[in-house]
Amino acid sequence: MEEKDVKQTLDDIREMMSKSSRFQAISGWSIIVIGLYAAVASLMAAAVIGVGDWLPCCENLQCFAVMNTPERIRIVVFCAIGMFALSLLTVFVFAIVKSKRNNLRFVFDKRMYQMLIDFFIPLLAGGLLSMALVMQGHYGLTSSIMLLFYGLALVNCSHYTYPILRYLGYAELILGIIDCFTMSHALLFWFIGFSVIHIVFGIAYVLMFERRK
Amino acid sequence: MAIIDGLNKVFESKIRLGIMSVLVANGSADFATLKSLLELTDGNLASHTRNLEEVGYIRCEKKFIGRKPNTTYVITEEGREAFAAHIAALERFLKECRS
Repeated sequence: MEEKDVKQTLDDIREMMSKSSRFQAISGWSIIVIGLYAAVASLMAAAVIGVGDWLPCCENLQCFAVMNTPERIRIVVFCAIGMFALSLLTVFVFAIVKSKRNNLRFVFDKRMYQMLIDFFIPLLAGGLLSMALVMQGHYGLTSSIMLLFYGLALVNCSHYTYPILRYLGYAELILGIIDCFTMSHALLFWFIGFSVIHIVFGIAYVLMFERRK
Repeated sequence: MAIIDGLNKVFESKIRLGIMSVLVANGSADFATLKSLLELTDGNLASHTRNLEEVGYIRCEKKFIGRKPNTTYVITEEGREAFAAHIAALERFLKECRS
């Protein structure tokens, strides 16, 4: 009995130490919202590029010819960058609102700073790589590179927040790897990775961490 | 209750031990953070932090953020040592149980 009590006390201490040092401000709703942004962005991209990519019958030359028009690609790239900036802003705004509601201060402390650095190092490397590929006319692997590096960024920063974020990273990585080996359908993979997975994960996150209270 | 050598009376309370766990892990924490982590009422948390302050294990820093008063608790060197000694005593006890 005694031994059990002591063990329990030590476990409680350990749990409190790790729980308190986690970054808990990320809101599940913001993950759902960025999933919706991505849905809108991929629909817009589909309209610009031509819907051919969504259908299995895309392997005709016409589709690729349309893909490779520089202006259209530029529109899609701007679309993606805009969506990324908007998503980032959304995550921050929701995090601030969530902290306020829980009566906590939202501060750029050392932990948050470290988390952002760990998140952005893989993301920036991947972003620059895909930008270089687009500029040199290699469009084929762009979506898988974005998925892979985004997955790496999530895995890399997940230990600062709820460990479950790691699984979102794994999901993006697996999808990115499948995408690497699949010809075309880039937009479809992009849609699944950035929209469907975010929405599903966001709902799970809300149910797990934010339903109580 | 069996006697365990080296246990600290101050840490007999689960709440005080919880406050110390948060502060050891983070160095400092404000009142609202502690309150939500430990799920306590204002009065309950205040009385326990006062206890810890009196024995010199934590330090209280009051300031204003804009117009709102903000209370932050910081762990002292003494508090860190006392906490480590308490944990060591618990672990020693577990080891003896096993052998």
